[in-house]
Amino acid sequence: MRFADFPTPEVLGPDASEEAIKDLIERHGSVFVKPVFKGGVGKKGKAGLIGRAKDLKTALAEKERLYFVEHRHGNQVSKANGVTFEAAVPAEHEVYFSITDATQFRAPTMTLTHCGGMDIEELDPSKIARIPFDPLTGLKAFVVANALADIGAPKEIISPLVQQLPKLWELYHDFGMTTLELNPIRMRADRRGRLTPVACDFKCGFDRDDPRWHRLDLPAHLFAADYSDFEQEINQLRTHQGQSDVYVINERGTILAPTFGGGANSLVTEMLGDDAIISSDFGGNPPYEKMKSVAAICFKHWLAQSNVLFVIGGKSNNTDIFETFRAIADALREHFSRNGPTPLYVVVGRGGPNLVRGMGVMRDTCEALGLPYRLFGFDSAMSEVVDYAREVNEWMKTGGRDAIARKLGIAPVAA
Amino acid sequence: MYQQGVGEFKYYVGISSLAQIATRHDRVCVLNILGGESSEVTPVGHAWSGGNVVFGTSPGRRGQVLETAAGNIPVYNSVREGLDDGHRFNCGVVYLPPSAARDGVAELIRVNPELKKIFIITEKIAVHDAREIRAMGQQHGIDIFGANCLGVADSWNQVRIGGALGGDSPSDTLKPGSIAVLSNSGGFTTTIAQYLRMAGWGTTTLVSSGKDVFIHYAAPEFAFALANDARSKAAVLYCEPGGYYERDAQFTKPVVACVVGRWKAKLTRAVGHAGAMAGGDDDAGAKERWFMEKFGVDAIYTPDNPVFSPKGAVVTNIAHIPAALTAVMRANATLPDFAPEGTMELKPWFGANMGIALPEKLDLPVVAAPEPYRAQIAALAKQVGAVFPREPMKDTSGASKMDPKTQVSSLNGTSVLEAARLPLEANVGLAMLREAGGENDRKLVNVALAAHMNLHGDPALAAAQAAREAGNAPNAVLAAALSIVGPKRAERARAIVAALIERFHEAGLRDALDEEFGVGGLTEDAALAELVLAGEPDPLAEAMLAGLDARAARSVFVRYLRSFGRPVNADAVLAAVTATLAWGPLMRKRVSRLSVETLPWWMKLFGALIGASADAAQHRPDGFCGIATATLLGEASITDVACRALLGRTPDAADRFAFQTLVGILLTNGPGTISAQGAKGAVSADGPESPQRVQLNKALVGFLTHTGYAHGGNGFEGVQFLIGQFRDTALADPADPAHGLDLAALARGYAEDYGRYKAEAKASGSADLQKIPGVNHPVFKDRPVNVDPREAFIRELMASRGEANVFHDYYRALVQALFDSGVSRTVYCVNIDAVIAALLLKLTWKPWRAGEFGETALESAAFTVFLYARMLGCAAEIDDHLNRGRNMDTRTAASACRFVS
Repeated sequence: MRFADFPTPEVLGPDASEEAIKDLIERHGSVFVKPVFKGGVGKKGKAGLIGRAKDLKTALAEKERLYFVEHRHGNQVSKANGVTFEAAVPAEHEVYFSITDATQFRAPTMTLTHCGGMDIEELDPSKIARIPFDPLTGLKAFVVANALADIGAPKEIISPLVQQLPKLWELYHDFGMTTLELNPIRMRADRRGRLTPVACDFKCGFDRDDPRWHRLDLPAHLFAADYSDFEQEINQLRTHQGQSDVYVINERGTILAPTFGGGANSLVTEMLGDDAIISSDFGGNPPYEKMKSVAAICFKHWLAQSNVLFVIGGKSNNTDIFETFRAIADALREHFSRNGPTPLYVVVGRGGPNLVRGMGVMRDTCEALGLPYRLFGFDSAMSEVVDYAREVNEWMKTGGRDAIARKLGIAPVAA
Repeated sequence: MYQQGVGEFKYYVGISSLAQIATRHDRVCVLNILGGESSEVTPVGHAWSGGNVVFGTSPGRRGQVLETAAGNIPVYNSVREGLDDGHRFNCGVVYLPPSAARDGVAELIRVNPELKKIFIITEKIAVHDAREIRAMGQQHGIDIFGANCLGVADSWNQVRIGGALGGDSPSDTLKPGSIAVLSNSGGFTTTIAQYLRMAGWGTTTLVSSGKDVFIHYAAPEFAFALANDARSKAAVLYCEPGGYYERDAQFTKPVVACVVGRWKAKLTRAVGHAGAMAGGDDDAGAKERWFMEKFGVDAIYTPDNPVFSPKGAVVTNIAHIPAALTAVMRANATLPDFAPEGTMELKPWFGANMGIALPEKLDLPVVAAPEPYRAQIAALAKQVGAVFPREPMKDTSGASKMDPKTQVSSLNGTSVLEAARLPLEANVGLAMLREAGGENDRKLVNVALAAHMNLHGDPALAAAQAAREAGNAPNAVLAAALSIVGPKRAERARAIVAALIERFHEAGLRDALDEEFGVGGLTEDAALAELVLAGEPDPLAEAMLAGLDARAARSVFVRYLRSFGRPVNADAVLAAVTATLAWGPLMRKRVSRLSVETLPWWMKLFGALIGASADAAQHRPDGFCGIATATLLGEASITDVACRALLGRTPDAADRFAFQTLVGILLTNGPGTISAQGAKGAVSADGPESPQRVQLNKALVGFLTHTGYAHGGNGFEGVQFLIGQFRDTALADPADPAHGLDLAALARGYAEDYGRYKAEAKASGSADLQKIPGVNHPVFKDRPVNVDPREAFIRELMASRGEANVFHDYYRALVQALFDSGVSRTVYCVNIDAVIAALLLKLTWKPWRAGEFGETALESAAFTVFLYARMLGCAAEIDDHLNRGRNMDTRTAASACRFVS
C-alpha cells in the first residue's frame, strides 16, 4: 500500500507489547485480531477467524485463540502462525474493490461496489460494477467515476474513491499481480466530515512468470508455503525451455509417472489417482541435461518405492523423444549403478520426433538393467496405456515385485 | 478502444472463416528464428507449407540463414531490415523468450502495416505483458494466436504457421477431412488429429490456442469462424479448467468437447497449464455443464454410456473423442471422411518380460508399428551391439573406477578383489567383453591366446629379444614386440568377424552355442567363403581347430567353418572363436560392434605380449616354454602358461593361485593412473572418432611406456625389503606354515632398528625419512588399528584356501611391532603393495634361494606380472576410449598448464 500511497489503518504485529495494543485500542476504540496465514486464504470472517476487541483482555484472549488456528477450505488446510492487531476504522461506508484479468472481457477488469465488507457473491448484481479497461492507458479516474455513478453510489464517497482507486492500478500492473482485492475499504471521516478511503484488508496474487513482484522484496518464506524437498529441487530447474512442473500427489504412491505435456498430465493424473506419486509436466522439449537432472531427482526421491516407471505423453510436436528418453534412460542407469537395482516395470507411451530411436534407447536400457517393459506408440490410446500401467502396478503389488526382485538377484523389498 | 472486425464481438476479430487462419497465401516472419526451438521446427513447417517463411530475425545475426529442405531462410537483425530488403509478410511468429515477447509483438505491429496475424509460441509470458499484447492487437486490428501455443495448421491447405503441429512429419497426422480442432494443449492438438485419423476422420484447421490466462484466439471466435468454413462439418474442442471462453461460444455445427482437469480441484497450485487452477466457477465441472447445456445432454459420453445429441457430446478422456464424434455425426447423417486407419487398442512396439512370468493380461505380444515406424524399427533391429555417445574422455572412463572410500577399483563393474578369484582367461573376457564368461568361454580364450604366444620365427620375437639384450626393462621389451603386431596383422580377422556378425545376425542367431542352429545356408555365401577358406591347409588353423576339439569347446561359428569340409585360414578360426565369445554381450548390447571387430587383434596382442615376456629360447617350432603345441592349444590354461613364462618353471597349484590373485588385484586402478593415461592418450592422439584408424598395438605401447621403475616396477621395492628381512633366515618354503621362524622377534628387531634410524634422522634434521614399503596408507589411517580392506580380503581368501604365506604374516607382525615399540602411534595397516610383494616373493623365493633367479630377474618378474595384469586393464581402457572418446580429448588446455622457472 505504501508503494501506491494508499491510506491504511495502523497495524501491530504478533510481538506487539500489551501497552502498544492497549494504546491502539484507546486511540481507535477497538481492534481487529486477525490470524496470519501463508498464501491466500479467503473468507476468514465467515469462518469466525477474525476477532474484535474493545479492551486489552479480549484482545489477548483472541490472540490466544487465533495464533495457531487452522483454516479449512475444501481439503486445503492452512495453519496460522501469529496474529496481527489492526486498528478498527469506524465508518459508515464499506467499499469492495478488486482488479483482475477477466477472461470474459479479455482485459484487466475492475470490480467495485459501495456495498462492501461482505461476500460479493451475495450482492445484487446491479450494485456491482464490473468494468474492463485498457491496460495501455490503465485504470483512469473517469472509469471509476462512471462506475460509481452507474451503481448509484452515495455522492460523498465518489470523489475520494476517484482520487485514490486509480493508484491501485499502478500497484497491480507494475508489481506483477494477477489479482488485487481490497475488502473492505472503510471511508474514514476527518473532523470536517471529508472521507478518506482506508484499506482494511488487502489480498493479492502474484504471477510466477513475472519478475516484477521481486521489486517488493517479499520474504521468500511467504511463497515456499509447503513445497516438499522434492518439489523444491525440481523447481530450481525451472527455466524457460522445458517445463518442470511437479506436484506430489501421494507420498506413498507406487507409480512414478514423468509426464509430458499439460494434456497428458491432466489425463494421467486423473486416471492414476492415488497410485501416482507425482503429477508432472516435463514437456516443452527439455534439453538433455535438464531432463536428466529432472529424472535423476525423481528417481532419487521415488524410485525405491515405485512399482512402475511410467513415461507417458501424447504425440509430441517438437519434444525430441530421443533426447528426452536418452536422458531418462541414462539417469535410470546411473541410479542403478549408484544405488543398486530395484524391482521395476517400465511402461512407456509416446509419439513424436525421433520416436523409434528414443524407444530403442529405452529398450536397451531396460534389457541391460533386466527390467521387464512395454513401450507403446501413439497408436495405442493413451488412456488404455494408463490402464495398462495400473494393471501392472496391481500385479506388482501381488507378487510381481518379488518376482522381479528375485530375477534381479536382490532381496524383495516391499514398495 | 478496438477496431471493428467481423461478427458481433465486443472486441476485434478479423478472421471470418477457419479457412483463413493458415492459407497458402500467408507469408511469415519469424522472430528469434535461430532460437533453439524455432531452428528445429521452422524448417519442417516451412518445407511442408511450400516455403511460407520469407525471413526471420535474430539481433546481431544478419546475413546468416536458416537452412531448410525448401531453401535457406534469410535472417536479419530486425523486422525493419527485412522489410527494407523488399520482403513482405502478413503473419508474425514469436519465438522470443518470455521477457522479450511483448516487445516483439510491438515491433511486428508498428513496423509492418500489412500485418494481419501474430502467432506467439513463447510460454511463461507474464500476465502483465499478455494484457498489453492483447491491447496492442485490439488497437491495431491484428488477430493474435497463443500465447504458449504451438501455432496453427491447415490440413487442406497443407500449411502450418508457427509451432510444430504435426511434429516433424506433419502429413503423417494431418490428413484433409471435415473436422476442425481447437485445443488448449498443443501436444494434444496433434494427438487428437492422430486419434481422429485412425477412426476415419480427417481435419480442416487445427488451432492450438494456448492456455494462459489471456487466450487471444479462443472458443467464441473459433465457433464463429467454424460456422463460416464450408469445409468443416464439426469440431473437436479440448478444454482445460480456467477461463470463460467456452461459455461464451455459440456453436452452429456439431462439437465434441473434451473437458479435463476435474482432479485439479485437489491441487493448491498450478501444475501443467498455467491458467488451469481450481476454485472459481470456471473449473472443469463448470465447463462440462456449459457444454452439456449447449448440447442438450445430461451426462458425459463414455463407451459404456454413450450420451450424445446431434449437437454434440462431452467427453473427459481424449481416447473417447473419435467414438463420440462418430456417434454425433451419425446423428447428423454423416459418415467418416475415410475408412478408419487403425484402432486405439494397446499395441506395444517394443516389449520383453526379461524371463519373468507375467499374467496373461499384461503379457502383450509386440505388434508391428504402422509405417514409417515399422521400417525404422526394422532398421533399429539391424543395429547390433551397444552404441555409446561420444564425449571428452580425459580422466574419464566407462571401464574402470576406483571407489574413493574403500580404494578398491573395479573393472567393468567387477571389483578387482572379485577378479582376483578368476583365472587370467576369465579376466580377458571381463576386460574386453565386460563379462567374465563361463567355462566354454575360458576354453575359447585359452585357444585364442595360446595360438599367438609362440613367436618362433616372428620378427616380433627378434625385436623383443634385441630390446631385452640392450638392457631394457620389461615394458620396453614388450613394447618392441607389440610394435610389430600392427593393424595389417589383424586386418583379415577383423573383416571376417565383421562379416560373421552381419550374416549370422541376419540369419537370426541368438545363442552362439546353439547346437541346433543351421549353418548350411551360410556356406553358400561366396563372399564369406572367400574370406575364410585357405588354398593350402594352414597349420595354425589346423592346430587351433584340433585344440578346440580337444577341449570340446562349443561354437556355432567354428561349426560353420568345419561345415565347408575344406581348409580354412587361422584368421577365420580366430574370428570364429572371438565371435562366439562376443556374441552374447553383443546381442545384449553390453559391447559395441566395433569392440567385437577388434577382438581378434586384441587376442593376437595379448598372446604376443605374454609370449614376448619369455626369453627367445623358450619359443620353439614345436612348443612354447616347454609345452608342446598340441598341449598348449588343447589343454593348457593361459594362467598356467603365463605363470610358467614368468617363472621359467612349472607352477604348482599354490603358485598358480598366487599368480592369478596378483593379476586380478593389479588389473586396474582407475583412469587416473599413469598407465591408463598413457593408453588413453595413445587412443586420443590417433582419433577415436575414426576408430578404424586407431592403432591398438600402439595404444598398448602407450600403456607400456607409461609404466616404469616407479609405476609397476615398484612392486619390487617390497620384494627387496622382504628379501632383506629373510635373507639370513633358514626359510625354505614360504608356503609352509611350519616354517619355524619367530616372525614376531624378526619384526621386533626391525622395528627397533627402524625406530633408531628414525630418531637419528630426526636428530640430524633430515626431513626425508625413508618409509617402509608396504606399510601404512594415506586413506586407511587414524584409527587405533588400521586395515586396508584389500589386504584383509586377500588374507581371508588365502586363509579360506588353507594357504599360508610367511611374508604376509611377517608384515602383520611388523605393523604390530612398530606400534609396540613406539615407532607408530597407531597400528598401521598392511597395504596392498605389501600383499603384492608377499605374493610375488612367495612365487619366486625358491628359485631365488636356489640361485636360479638373480635380483634382476626377480625385479623383472615383479614388473612383468604387473604388466600382464595391467595389459588387460589398459586394453579395457583403450577399448572404452575407442568407443566413447573424441579426437585429442586428453589434451590439457593451455590455460590449465603452468610454467615454472
